[in-house]
Amino acid sequence: MSDRRRLNGPAGTTSPPVFTPSTGSAISPQYRSRKPNELRKIFLQTGVVPSATGSAYLELESPPRSRSTVLNTSSTIKLSCSVHGPKPLPRTASFSPNLQLSASVKFAPFATRNRQGYVRDSTERDIGMHLENALKGVIIPDRWPKSAIDIAVTVLEGEDDQIDGDRIVGVGLVNMLAGCINVSMAALADARVDCLDLLAAGVGAIVAGPEKPLRILDPASIEHEAILASCLVGYLPSRDELVEVWTNGSSSTQGANAGISFDEMLDSAVAAARGAQTVIKEVLVEALTKTKGGTKKLSHDHMNDVEMKT
Amino acid sequence: MATSALVVPGQVLGNLSTHRAGPGTHVYENNILASIIGRSIVTPADKGQSGSSKAVISVPRPGTSPSATKTANALPAVGSTVLCRITRVQQRQITASILVVDPSPQDVTSYTRITDDDLQFQAVLRREDIRTHEKDKVVMNDMYRVGDIIRAVVISLGDERNYYISTAGNEFGVVVATSDAGNAMVPASWREMKDVVTGQGESRKVAKPS
Repeated sequence: MSDRRRLNGPAGTTSPPVFTPSTGSAISPQYRSRKPNELRKIFLQTGVVPSATGSAYLELESPPRSRSTVLNTSSTIKLSCSVHGPKPLPRTASFSPNLQLSASVKFAPFATRNRQGYVRDSTERDIGMHLENALKGVIIPDRWPKSAIDIAVTVLEGEDDQIDGDRIVGVGLVNMLAGCINVSMAALADARVDCLDLLAAGVGAIVAGPEKPLRILDPASIEHEAILASCLVGYLPSRDELVEVWTNGSSSTQGANAGISFDEMLDSAVAAARGAQTVIKEVLVEALTKTKGGTKKLSHDHMNDVEMKT
Repeated sequence: MATSALVVPGQVLGNLSTHRAGPGTHVYENNILASIIGRSIVTPADKGQSGSSKAVISVPRPGTSPSATKTANALPAVGSTVLCRITRVQQRQITASILVVDPSPQDVTSYTRITDDDLQFQAVLRREDIRTHEKDKVVMNDMYRVGDIIRAVVISLGDERNYYISTAGNEFGVVVATSDAGNAMVPASWREMKDVVTGQGESRKVAKPS
C-alpha cells in the first residue's frame, strides 16, 4: 500500500466466516430472467450535486436475489458523475483554442467486495481513458476556447464478475464503462456543454445457450456461465456513428458459435445503446420540465423513476 | 419570437434552406441540430438589417434569459461586461480575477461565490486602458487597490492565460471597495471614494452609478 497519508483499511482482506446451509448445494448461480433483447432497467437523475455545473446519478436494476445464495453477489451498478467547469486552463498548460476535456473514474473504497485503495489503479485509469475518448467524440470543443472541463465519475457500487470474483474484469468492466458513458452524457447535457448528439453506450454479447450460442443485450456476468464474446459501443443515434468500440472474446463464424457474426453482435450492442439513449433523453426532458425558468433546484420530494420500455 | 418544445442535443430543429443556426445549435448535413438541452426559439429575421432574411433558430442557455441566476458557464467574450476582483497592482498593469460575466442586477449580491483564483478566469488591465484621458499621468495606486471590485469590459481574449480588460469609460471602474481602515466606501466623485465611518477620502477611478 503506497498511500501513507490516510487511514487505510487492513492490508489483507478480512473475510467473515461463511456457514454453508446443510441442504444440498450452497451456491446456485442466478439465471437471466429477462428476455434476450431486454435491458436491465435504468434509474437516472440529473442535478444531484448542487456545487457542480452538471451532475447525474445512474443505477441499474438489481436482479432478484435467490435465497440459497450465501455469498452476497451483486450485479448492480451505481454511478455518480459530476462535471466541473468550464474553468481556466492550468497555469502550466499552453494555449488551446478548444475545450480541454478530462475524465476520470474512481471506485469508492466500498464499491466492490474487495476494498479499493484511494490511489487510482490501472483498471480505473483504463476505464477513464476509454470514457475520455468516447466523450471527446461527442462534444463541440471549439465553443469553449481557453477553458477546461473535468468529468469525475465515482463508482458507488460495481458489478461483481463471478460468484467468487474479486476484481472487476471482463463483462463487468465493459458494463461499467457503458454505465460511465451514459451517466457522463447526462451530466454533460445537464451542464449545457455543447454536444453533437446524445451519446449512449450499450453492450451486446454472445453467450453459450442450451444447444447453440445466443445473442443477448446487456449481459450481466453472474447470470451466465460462459460469455463467449462481448462488445461495447458508444453510439450517436442521430448521425448513426460510433465513437467507441470495445470487444472481448472471439466471434468467429465457424465452430462453436457458428451463425453469429461480429456484425450481428455489434448490431445488438447498438440496439442496447439505442435503448439507453431513450432513457437519457426522457430523463433530460423531464428534468427540463421540472425546473422552471432555468433555475436549478434539487428536487428531493419527487424522485420519479423513469423506466425503459423495450 | 416563438417558443417550441423542449429539445435535447442531436435533435433536428430545421433546415439551412429556411433558417439560420443561432447559439446553442450546430449544423450537420444542411440540418440545424440542437447542441444543448433547453427550449428552442425561432427569432424572425430583421428586415432592416442587410443580410439574409431567414429566421434564426437558437437554444438559449439558462444564464442568458432574464429570469435566471445561473451564469456559471458563460465564457467572457470580446465586448462583454465583467465584474472583477483586483488581485495584484503593478506599475504597468493590474491583474484581476473575473467573477461574473455580463452581470444582471441580482448577480451583484453573489459575486464572492467562488473564492479560489485558480478556478476563475484571469484578466489583465494595462495602464493605458484604465481611462480615456491623460493616459500617461495615471498612477496605478490612485486608481485601484487590491481587493476592489471593478466593472470592466473585455477588449481581447488575450494570450494563453489572461483576458484583456479595459475600464476606459464613465460606467467602468470601482464598484465596491473598502478603505485602509477596513470600512466600506461610497463614491464621492468620479475620482474619489469616502469611508462611511471616518469620512476619509481615498483616490479611486469610480464607476458611474447606474
